[in-house]
Amino acid sequence: MTRAVLFHTCLVNEIDPEVGLAVVRVLERIGCDVDVPAAQTCCGQPAFNAGFQHDARTVARHTIDLLDRTTGPIVIPSGSCGDMLVHQYPHLFADEPAMHEKAVRVASRCREFSQFLAEHAPQHAGGTLDAKIAYHPSCHLLRGLGVREAPLDAIASVDGATSMPVREQEECCGFGGLFSVKNAGISSAMLDRKLAAIESSGADRVVSCDLGCLLHIGGGLHRRGSAIRTQHLAQLLDEAQTR
Amino acid sequence: MTAPSADFAARAGAAIGDARLQDALGRVTAVFGSRRTSAFASLPNAEAVRDAARAARLTAVANLPDYLERFESRLLANGAHVHWADTAADANAIVAGIATRAGCTRAVKSKSMVSEETHLNEALEAAGVAPIETDLGEYIVQLAHDRPSHIIAPIIHLTRQDVGRVMQRELKVPYTDDTQALAATARTRLRSEFLRADMGISGANFGVADTGTIVLVTNEGNGRMVTTLPRVHVVLMGIEKLVANLEELDACLKVLARSGTGQQLTVYTTMVNGPRREGDADGPDELHVVLLDNGRSRIRAGDTAEILGCIRCGACLNVCPVYRNIGGHAYGDTYPGPVGAIVTPGLRGLEPWRELPHASTLCGACRDVCPVRLDIPRMLLALRRDVAAADLQPRSLAWAMKLFAWTASRPALYRAATRVARVWLRARARDGWVRALPGLAGGWTRARDLRAPAAKTFQERWQERRA
Amino acid sequence: MSARERVLARLRAAPRPSFDGLRMGGGLRMSDKLAASDGLGTSASDTPLALSLSKGELLARFRAELTALGVEHHVESTPDAVRARVAAIVGDRPVLRWDVDRLPYGVGELLAHAADGASARDVQAAAAVGVTGCDAAIAETGSLAMITGRGKPRAASLLPPTHLAIVGTDQLCETMGAFFRERAADLAAAANCTFITGPSRTADIELTLTVGVHGPGRVVVIVGP
Repeated sequence: MTRAVLFHTCLVNEIDPEVGLAVVRVLERIGCDVDVPAAQTCCGQPAFNAGFQHDARTVARHTIDLLDRTTGPIVIPSGSCGDMLVHQYPHLFADEPAMHEKAVRVASRCREFSQFLAEHAPQHAGGTLDAKIAYHPSCHLLRGLGVREAPLDAIASVDGATSMPVREQEECCGFGGLFSVKNAGISSAMLDRKLAAIESSGADRVVSCDLGCLLHIGGGLHRRGSAIRTQHLAQLLDEAQTR
Repeated sequence: MTAPSADFAARAGAAIGDARLQDALGRVTAVFGSRRTSAFASLPNAEAVRDAARAARLTAVANLPDYLERFESRLLANGAHVHWADTAADANAIVAGIATRAGCTRAVKSKSMVSEETHLNEALEAAGVAPIETDLGEYIVQLAHDRPSHIIAPIIHLTRQDVGRVMQRELKVPYTDDTQALAATARTRLRSEFLRADMGISGANFGVADTGTIVLVTNEGNGRMVTTLPRVHVVLMGIEKLVANLEELDACLKVLARSGTGQQLTVYTTMVNGPRREGDADGPDELHVVLLDNGRSRIRAGDTAEILGCIRCGACLNVCPVYRNIGGHAYGDTYPGPVGAIVTPGLRGLEPWRELPHASTLCGACRDVCPVRLDIPRMLLALRRDVAAADLQPRSLAWAMKLFAWTASRPALYRAATRVARVWLRARARDGWVRALPGLAGGWTRARDLRAPAAKTFQERWQERRA
Repeated sequence: MSARERVLARLRAAPRPSFDGLRMGGGLRMSDKLAASDGLGTSASDTPLALSLSKGELLARFRAELTALGVEHHVESTPDAVRARVAAIVGDRPVLRWDVDRLPYGVGELLAHAADGASARDVQAAAAVGVTGCDAAIAETGSLAMITGRGKPRAASLLPPTHLAIVGTDQLCETMGAFFRERAADLAAAANCTFITGPSRTADIELTLTVGVHGPGRVVVIVGP
């Protein structure tokens, strides 16, 4: 039995806990004993991306300390939070040797959800589900963490699921965190292009590994009255595994 | 020509609403993007070549004063004159002064972004020198009193009908929208300018320090005309544009055209070593090289020094989803796109251009395609830190961040604060969706609905599950 | 203090920036075979790349690149055939050429009365065909390397709408890098070296290709024995 620590992320905690519960169930089915530290809050990326370095460090310090008190792989159902912990945390503490060492230690244990599945359960036991899926590779997952194949392999392991090609599939959806409100016009123009591509793909659902992108894309689809739903990869697998 | 970035949102909005511009941007990004991909696929050892080009450019930036001294001494040995300029105004004055002393009144120019940066043309006109742009796109820009909107394709924002109307109006020729005919008109007009100009002004794609060579890459032939026919040739270049030797130049040339237009090489790669030599049939009598700082030394001293390694290929523009939607003019100054978002605050000052580093989702597509692997997202974040540290963010945001940091490091407080927010949002929701939000958050609901938060947090559901 | 002193002083006042992946003072090299130097000169331990292609392969590669660029090319096996091809291409149109003694295969004698570097500019500009040799033909890119020098006016490959270049098979060179290494001294002694890679072109208007903007719109290469 592998012990896995779940860093559930603030968006999962506060907006869509079903994603977190799906992650837990999928992890348990592949033989993990999941630990959810109670003191976790946020990775601090909103402050970091807005340039408030000091404030980001305050939050990061708290997160690193609580995670460093745990052992085992840290599973993160978000490419952007994953990239924050893996790549940005060590830089944030470049001038504080003790903290830097902790940050590197924590970073080395972190795995984004699909990455963890690829490493621990390559067969995935994906289950069965008839679905036409538009996969959205979130930017920090794809380019930050370099995770390209793992989510596609996970989708392919679901019997009956088809990954539909999406025009300009790797183009950013326009969420970008605070960018979505600060540069709302550009964000919605980028969203329009992504939605048009998704709608042309023939998919019945959008699957991604980042809840931020899913809220942005899903919010746009809902505003348009679209029947296309959005799911985190964990929810897709959970649905397929419980058929 | 340069406008405060407070207008950035307005300019971006106007561009997004411009259907014709959107078509043009779609075309340029798709065409250049796919050509770049094919061109790199056919380059043997592409990653090693990119590494070599990056090493060449950034070693030069790191050792810039030594490289510049070496470059200057070779240029002087080759018979060129070397001038140094602290600022844009100084550079313009130097070029105008060269023209005056040499008795030049007509200057043909091949494409030079640095001359746009310094507004050289206005200074020349004021000094009684007529500057004529000869790069076809820049020629149209000049005729139309417009500005270029892309580093490589300056008039991508104009249709051929626009070009036809500009030529009809400014050159008094019959209207046509046939691109061959339009190019032929430009060819005829500019040929007579090339033949009678007494000064040629160019930029430089690279300077080779060990050999004192100026390298220009062009497709049309105007670069050759400008550096061959007039008796005085002036090169205006930024101090950062150096490589050490011809081997490094080769690496950079291998990636420049591939990244910019998808060609293996541009049609003309011109290496200028000096004025004409004894016995040469043609070539300029005088070569002047103007080395311009204009804020580059300040950039080099900061967190965004890496941007000085840019080889101005335009690949980052072609792949950027923000550029794709807002085009070049929205960036408000000489250099658009991801590179512009870093260079403009660096050269012109952070305060008026503080919006530019935020006009990005940090998606990283630019970093992936940059031939010299510049880490553009890292530099955008560094500028965002500078903006916050200089107190240029709204007070309300700075306080919100303080509050966020305070609560997010105190779990009990965080739970309480987020519960308040959740309750507030759920109260505004209908059928699980919020359709309108006030204030800054209204930016979200202008274009999207917002999923209402769940009644219980994941932590609460987890506790229940374990019980 | 002059502007030069101020600029250099500003640069030296700042700490030298460091960049990811680079050793300071050296930097990476294209080939691991080359020793690190201070970055300020061609590395002394550079061994020239042996030509890995045979003459025949070089020619084939060169021609393939020319085809892709839209450059007409002909291979002739005797000087007579080269001259005949030149005559066929030029016809009775006015020519601007390199000096007679700079053109191979007796092509110069064939065009003895044509305009050359000493002719008046307006005569040069009236030529329909520019006839030149070259300093090297780069197989990797399909480029003609043109180094300036006595009797080799740049105008001949620039002003006329057609550029006809005569190349000897011995002038084929595999890569630009090899050309730089082998001809560094010639490059240093000349005012200008231009690589011509296809006919002049632009796509500035709506990304629609137009060939022949300022430079020659038609480039023809004859490779002689």
